[in-house]
Amino acid sequence: MSSDTPLDRRPVKLLIVDDSNIVRRRIERSQQFDDLQVVGTAANGFEALELARRTDPDLVTMDLTMPQMDGIECITRLVKLKPGLRILVISALADKATAVEAMERGANGFLNKPFSDRQLNEAIAELMY
Amino acid sequence: MQSSGADRVRRLLTAAAGALLAALMALVLIVGFRLATRIRANVALLQRASLLETYPSALSQQLTALRERLGTLEYTGGVHQELADSVAGFDRNLAALERRPGVDRPVLRAAGRLWKAYTPVLAPVLAYSGEPYSDTDFGSSLSVSGKIYYTQVRRAELFAQSSAPALHRRLAALSAALQQRTSSAASRLRLLLSVGVLAVLLLGAAAAYLQLARSRGERAARAAEEQTRDILHTVREGLFLLDADYRIGTVWSQALTHLFGREDFAGLSFEELLRDKVSPATLVTATKYIKLLWGERAHENLMKSINPLGQLEVVLDNGRGGKETHYLQFNFHRVVGPQGVKHVLCTVADITSNVMLARELHEAQESAHSQIDMMVSMLHSDPLQVGGFLDTAAAGLKHVNAILKEPARSHAEFSRKLTGLSRELHSIKGEASALNLMSIAQRVHHLEDMVEELKGKSELTGNDFLPVVLKLDELLAHLRAVREVILRLSTLKDGTPSPEGTLSSPILRLRERASGAEELAATLQGLARKLAEDHGKPFTLSLEGLEAVPAAYLPTVKDCLIQMLRNAAVHGIEPDAVRRAGSKSVTGLVRVQFRRLESGCELVFEDDGAGLSPETLKEAAVRKQLLTAEQAAELDNRSALALIFKPGFSTRAEVSMDAGRGTGMDVVAKAVYALGGRIGVSTHPGRFTRFKIALPAPSQTAVA
Repeated sequence: MSSDTPLDRRPVKLLIVDDSNIVRRRIERSQQFDDLQVVGTAANGFEALELARRTDPDLVTMDLTMPQMDGIECITRLVKLKPGLRILVISALADKATAVEAMERGANGFLNKPFSDRQLNEAIAELMY
Repeated sequence: MQSSGADRVRRLLTAAAGALLAALMALVLIVGFRLATRIRANVALLQRASLLETYPSALSQQLTALRERLGTLEYTGGVHQELADSVAGFDRNLAALERRPGVDRPVLRAAGRLWKAYTPVLAPVLAYSGEPYSDTDFGSSLSVSGKIYYTQVRRAELFAQSSAPALHRRLAALSAALQQRTSSAASRLRLLLSVGVLAVLLLGAAAAYLQLARSRGERAARAAEEQTRDILHTVREGLFLLDADYRIGTVWSQALTHLFGREDFAGLSFEELLRDKVSPATLVTATKYIKLLWGERAHENLMKSINPLGQLEVVLDNGRGGKETHYLQFNFHRVVGPQGVKHVLCTVADITSNVMLARELHEAQESAHSQIDMMVSMLHSDPLQVGGFLDTAAAGLKHVNAILKEPARSHAEFSRKLTGLSRELHSIKGEASALNLMSIAQRVHHLEDMVEELKGKSELTGNDFLPVVLKLDELLAHLRAVREVILRLSTLKDGTPSPEGTLSSPILRLRERASGAEELAATLQGLARKLAEDHGKPFTLSLEGLEAVPAAYLPTVKDCLIQMLRNAAVHGIEPDAVRRAGSKSVTGLVRVQFRRLESGCELVFEDDGAGLSPETLKEAAVRKQLLTAEQAAELDNRSALALIFKPGFSTRAEVSMDAGRGTGMDVVAKAVYALGGRIGVSTHPGRFTRFKIALPAPSQTAVA
């Protein structure tokens, strides 16, 4: 494969979307991938869309319950904006129906809050490679 | 499933071999047919050749016969004709042979040349048509033409005799060649037939083998089918496959029938399966989820984590016309083929009992937690008193147990038993609520209810007491739990773990530090506060001389005071409005005085409440059927007041935690009598109620 040449190993660009500042920082600091580059953090759906347009991320971690524009709506728009975008939902999923809904709209993975560092890294790894 | 590939190869090979054999058979038949045709043709040629072979000698003989007939002047016409026929026959047969394939042509040509040499000599003979004889008077003789004819015949005869062997040899060679060909064709045919027979045998064997293999395969398939059926009939989970149209396949396990109460699963869509069983919202989610299972993003673990049907509450017919709530667990496994997801295997299990168990466990934990919380908060305030209470309560319940064990047969005996139980429970309840140990008080209250219910029964047996015994066990367990907690708590408060680790030692140590009188005072003040709060009747409790109570009397004094305090709060102290109307202070007053006298001890209990009305007491006694109306009418005031010491007497219509069960003062009186004491009551309506208890000096009594 071409991964032998360092130039081909473009870092995976990550956009973090969560209305909680603490959770955003937590995700940013807990991820342990050398080839993962956090290109932005957004506190709501509108910010997320705006940042996604500017930074062209490969991977998005998405909270579902956010003010202004909720995660489901944001997933729908993000997928429209960039088909093939990998979306990891990180949320306290109260009911499975929301998870199914997110999945149907284009989410690729789920991580339940609260999560451990290991769970976070495993979930990201699954979507990165 | 590995053998199916090998099976297919074997089947293919067998089929190919069969086809090959069949082709061989066809070839054998075609070749055989051609060979037979050729042999038949050869045989016909051989006949002609053999016939030809006879002609040279025949010609010679005919010519000889003709010449001899001419010599003897006999009739020659017949022989002449035979000769002509022979020549014509030879020509015809030779010509026939010439046209046929498979005839040795050089030999035939040589024979033809030889035969052509006959023509010049035979032609004049055959051409002769005159009269060979002339008849004269001298007799008959050859005519002129006859003489020529004779010469010609003679010449032909000689030629024929000289040429016949050569011609015959040629013709014989021709026959021999033909015969050779024919026999070789025949042997070829024989060989061919052998091959054909062999092929038939092989074909037969192949067919037999195929048949055998097929029947073996069929048997295996039948056995497999049977096993599948057995599995599907026996397995406790519902099992079925969903196809890409989300419809159930034709194979499903019998358990589905019980789970869904229907039989028509084959072809049923998943949505139809759940419709009427779940809420519309759940149905929508479930349908979306099923669709997602076919998608590329559906990893097994991911899908499992968002399975909305992991614990589905459904309402099912219980088979007796009613409805029952069940919990079903659906699990989905994707069956992936080379072209992606082929099916989704769906398993359904009834996990109702698991869910119920988990729920019970949860509830039990919750209640344990709340109890502990409650106890801890109570103990926080006064672990010392609780310890004392636990000791008395344990003794009291021991007594209750003893009462329950007493044999009883008659109604009166049962009745006595119940009364005894009531009393004992009532006093435990009183202490428990005094200490704010509501979890205990409520349990005892329940027990009292049960005993009360038994009292109302006309006929009683030992079995009726069984629930009481069970409830009592529960209460004892609860008391043990409380004791456990207080033990830990007091250990904690002490800061030193108990050296022996026994249950009561820390409590004992705590008790040693506080005098019994202090403990009693604290208990009573606590109870007073609680009663005042519960009944909305503020009152002050004044305690005097309690420190003088002899240790031997402490438990009795405590029991009596608790009971009287409760009575005072419920019956004595009036509600606000009444007190205001009577120009009394809103806050009531209860006074307790203990004094040591020369003759013994005196305990005075007095409240500034409504006082006792003899008439009300009488009415209550009549209502309770303790007295007849006539008896009541004859009773003087003093005797009427004494009614309150009668067992089963209560003025309260409804029952509350604190009073009204008709147990109370009779317990007090009984306890006083047991110590050899006396009890008296005096009252003034609207002013006060005063109980005076006289007890002998403690040294004089044997009761501890």
